[in-house]
Amino acid sequence: MANTAKTRKRWAAWLGLIPFLVFCLAFEIVPILLLVRDSLLLKHGGLTLSHYGDALAPLYLKSFINSIKLSGLTAIVGTTLGVFIGYAIYRWPTKRVQDFMVTLSDVTTNFAGAPLAFAFIIILGSNGVVTQFLLQYFHWKIYPDFSVYSFSGLTLAYVYFQLPLMVLLIIPAFAGLKKEWRESAFNLGADTFRYWWNIGIPVLTPSLIAGFTLLFANAFGAYATAYTLTGSRLSLVTLQIGFTIAGEVLHDPGIGQAMAILSLMIMGTSILIYQLATNRARRWTRR
Amino acid sequence: MKQKPSVSQILIVGFFILYMIIPIVATYVFSVAVRWDRTILPEGYSLEGYTTAAKNPYFFSTLRNSLVLSLSTVLVSLIIVVPTVYWVHVRLQTAKPLLDLLMILPFGIPGVVLALALVQVYNFHPLNRSAMLLIAAEVVFTMPFMYRSVSNSINAVDIPTLTEAAQSLGAGIRNVLLEVIVPNIFPGILSGSLLVFATVFAEFTLARLIVGAGFKTFPMLLVEFTRIDGTVAAALSVISFTVAWIASLLILWAGGKGVRSTQEVVKAK
Amino acid sequence: MAYLDLTNICKTFNNVVAVKDFSLNIEKGQLVSFLGPSGCGKTTTLRMIAGFELPDSGTILLDGEDISLVPPNKRGIGMVFQAYALFPNMTIRENVMFGLRMARKPKPYIEKKVDEVLDLVRLSNTSKRYPHQLSGGQQQRIALARALAIEPRVLLLDEPLSALDAEVRVALRGEIRRIQTTLGITTVYVTHDQEEALSISDRVVVMNSGLIEQIGTAQEIYRNPDTRFVATFIGTANEFHSVVTNENTMQCDNMTLTTDRVKSFSQGSRVVALVRPENVEVFDVKPSETRLNLFEGVIETLTFHGAITRLGIIASGGKHITADVNLTGRDMLAHHQMVWFSFRPEYCQVMPD
Repeated sequence: MANTAKTRKRWAAWLGLIPFLVFCLAFEIVPILLLVRDSLLLKHGGLTLSHYGDALAPLYLKSFINSIKLSGLTAIVGTTLGVFIGYAIYRWPTKRVQDFMVTLSDVTTNFAGAPLAFAFIIILGSNGVVTQFLLQYFHWKIYPDFSVYSFSGLTLAYVYFQLPLMVLLIIPAFAGLKKEWRESAFNLGADTFRYWWNIGIPVLTPSLIAGFTLLFANAFGAYATAYTLTGSRLSLVTLQIGFTIAGEVLHDPGIGQAMAILSLMIMGTSILIYQLATNRARRWTRR
Repeated sequence: MKQKPSVSQILIVGFFILYMIIPIVATYVFSVAVRWDRTILPEGYSLEGYTTAAKNPYFFSTLRNSLVLSLSTVLVSLIIVVPTVYWVHVRLQTAKPLLDLLMILPFGIPGVVLALALVQVYNFHPLNRSAMLLIAAEVVFTMPFMYRSVSNSINAVDIPTLTEAAQSLGAGIRNVLLEVIVPNIFPGILSGSLLVFATVFAEFTLARLIVGAGFKTFPMLLVEFTRIDGTVAAALSVISFTVAWIASLLILWAGGKGVRSTQEVVKAK
Repeated sequence: MAYLDLTNICKTFNNVVAVKDFSLNIEKGQLVSFLGPSGCGKTTTLRMIAGFELPDSGTILLDGEDISLVPPNKRGIGMVFQAYALFPNMTIRENVMFGLRMARKPKPYIEKKVDEVLDLVRLSNTSKRYPHQLSGGQQQRIALARALAIEPRVLLLDEPLSALDAEVRVALRGEIRRIQTTLGITTVYVTHDQEEALSISDRVVVMNSGLIEQIGTAQEIYRNPDTRFVATFIGTANEFHSVVTNENTMQCDNMTLTTDRVKSFSQGSRVVALVRPENVEVFDVKPSETRLNLFEGVIETLTFHGAITRLGIIASGGKHITADVNLTGRDMLAHHQMVWFSFRPEYCQVMPD
C-alpha cells in the first residue's frame, strides 16, 4: 500500500510540471514542428524537398553566405579580442576596476538592436562624428570604402555586442586556471610559453569553443540591428525570413519556411556545440 | 603587493572602454545637439529632440504598450516559470535534464524563426497577430534569463534541509513558503524579473514581426524615427538606455544582497 | 514503558532496504547514539523519528503516543542538521524565535526563552547578527539553541559535528553533552565517528546495512563486541582466522592460540579470534615465565602516537600483527628488531568466521 502511495505521489509531482510543459508545447515546440512539416509539404499536399532547393538558389544562398560570413567574422574578432581584453581585466591589479569592467560588459552586451544601430550611424555615418574626426585630424576619408550601412558597418556594430559577451564568458575561465597549476608547471621546469602551450591553452580550449559558438549563434540570429542599419541593402537570412512574415516581399512561403528551418539547424548546432563545450569547461575548472 | 597594470593592459582595456562608451556618449550628445554633421563638436545644444518626441502622438502610446508588454511578460513568467523551477528543484529532480533542455532551446531559435512559426500556427482569431501571442513569444524568448536567475538562487540555499528545519520547528507548508523559501529566493526572482523586463522593453524582432503596426512598441517607434529625424531617434534611444541602466543597477543591487547572505550555507554543504 | 519506543521499523527505498526490523527503547533523559558507516540506515531511522520519512511498517511511540504518522511539524521534536540549516534571511535571534512563533507563544515568553537558550549555548552576544557572520561552530550552537527553544520532547542530532574542524568538534561535543545532561533531554545522536559516539553516549546502537549489530554502553561495545563487524568497525583488532582444534585451542596457520572462549565451538569449525592492539604485549627478550600465546616476530613499522607507539610486527609465519605499546621507561625498540609478543587468553574475542 505504501508503495502505491509513493507511486501516486511521484505522478502527482509530474502533474506540477504540466502548466509549463503545455506552455512550451503550445508556443515553442509544436509551432516549430509544424514549421518543419510545412517546409516539407507541397501546396497541395505531398512531401517535397523543393522548398529547400529553392531556398538554396543563388538569390537566397547569397543571404546564407552573408549571414555566415558576418557571424563567423564577428565571432572570430569577438573571441580573439575578447580573450585579450578578458585577460587584461582578469590580471588587473585593482578589484574595483575589474568589477567596473564586468559591469560595463554586462550592460553593453544587452545593448543591441535599434539603439545600437542608430548609435553607429551617429558616429560612423557619412557625417558621423568619428568619420569627421578621422577626416579633419588624419585626413583619412573612410567613405566610400567603408559604409556603416553595409557589411563593414554591420561588422563593427555586431562586434560591439560580441566583445563584452566574450569578456563575460572568458573571465571565469581564466579564474578557473588554478594558481597551483602554474606553480607546479614552473616547479617542474616549464617556462611561461610552455605553461600556456601545454596547460593554459588546452584548459581554455573548451571555453574558447563555447565562446566562439555562442557568439556565432548570437550574431546569426540577430535581426533588429541589421534591420535598422541596412534595411534591405544587405541580404541576410534573418532579414529574408522577416520579409516573408511581414509580407513585404512576395515569394513562396515555402521558401521562407525552408530558410527558417535551415537557420534553425545552423543555430541549433552552434548552441549544441556551445552546451557540450561548456559542460566540458565546467568539468575541468570545477573547484 | 600593490602592482601597477602594464602598458599593454592599459591600452587593451582603454580600447575596450572607448569602443563600448563612444557610441553611447555620442547618442546622448546627439540627442541634445542642434546640428552635428559639419563639426567635431555640436554647433549648439537644445532639448528639442525630447520635446518633439513627446509631442508625437505615438510617443506615450508606444511607451505604454512597451510597459504593458514588459510587465505582462514578467507576470506570466513569474506564474509559469518560477513555480516550475522551484518544483523541479525540490520535488522532481528527475525532470531536471528535461527542464535544462527546454530552457536552452530558446537560445537556439532565432527570433525571426519563432515569430514565423507562431504567426503561421496561430493564424486565427483572437490570437492572430495579437498582443497576447506576442506576450507568449516574449515569455518563451526570455525564459532562460528567468530560469538562470531563479535556479541560481535556489541552488545557493539548501531548500530541502531548510524546509525540514522549519518543519521540525513546527512550521506548516504556508509558513515554510512565506517565511523561509520565498525570502531566500526572492533576490533571484527579482533580478530575473528585471532582466526580463529590460529585455522585453528593448525587444524589436518579435514585436515587429508578430504584431507589427497593430501594437506599436517603443523600439518600433525608435526604428521609424531613425529614418525620419535623427535627433528624435537619439532622444528615444536615450530613454531606452535609461530604462536599461535602471534595470541593470537594480539587478546588481538585488544580486549582491542575495548572494552574501547565502554564502555560508553553500560553504557548509 | 520506555519514553521513546521504536518497534519493528522497516524502510525501503526503491527496493533497497534501508532499515530492517529496527526495535529500540530509549529511556527518558538518555543520550543514545546511532553509529555506523554511511548508508547503514542510521540517518533514515533518525528521519523516521523526526517524521521526514514514514516507516513502511512498524510503530514509533513517544511517551505512549503513537507518532508514526504524525506530520513532522506536529511532533514536538527538535532537530539539528549537519549543514546547520539556519535560515540565512533571518538574524540569529529571529532564527531562535522561529519555532516559538510557530507555536504562537506569548511575546514576553518568547523573549525570555530566546535569551535563556542563547545563554545556554553561550552566544547571547550574537543575537543581532546573521548566520553568515558566524563561524561554523557558532552556527551549529545556534542551531542547537533553536531546536532547544521549543522545549522538544526529543532532540535529534544528525551528524551535527561532521562539517566542523577537529578542534571545534571535540569542544562542541562536550558542550552538547553538558547541555543535554543539564536539561535532561532525551536525545538521539547520529554519527559515523566512533570516538564521538563512545565519548558522549549513555548507550550506543551500532548499525550496519540497515540492521542493528549491537546495543550497549560504550564499554560493552568496545570490550565485548557481539559481532565481527562491531569489533572491527570500533577500534582496531587483529584478526586470527583459525580452526578449532580442541576445547581450548585453535590453529591459525602455524600459530596455536589458546583461549577457553572456543569452548562453545565444535572441533574443526572455522572461527576468527580478535585481539585489540593494546592487549598485545611486546618483549625484547623471551620472557622467563611461561606465557600462553607467545610468538616471535620482527618489527616492521613503528609509529609514534604520543602516549603509545603502534608497532607493525610480522610474525614468524608471515602474519601481520598490530600492537600498541607504551615505550616510557623501557628500552627503545627499533626497526627489524626481533621481538616476542603475547596476549592473554581472556583478551581473545572468538566468533564464527
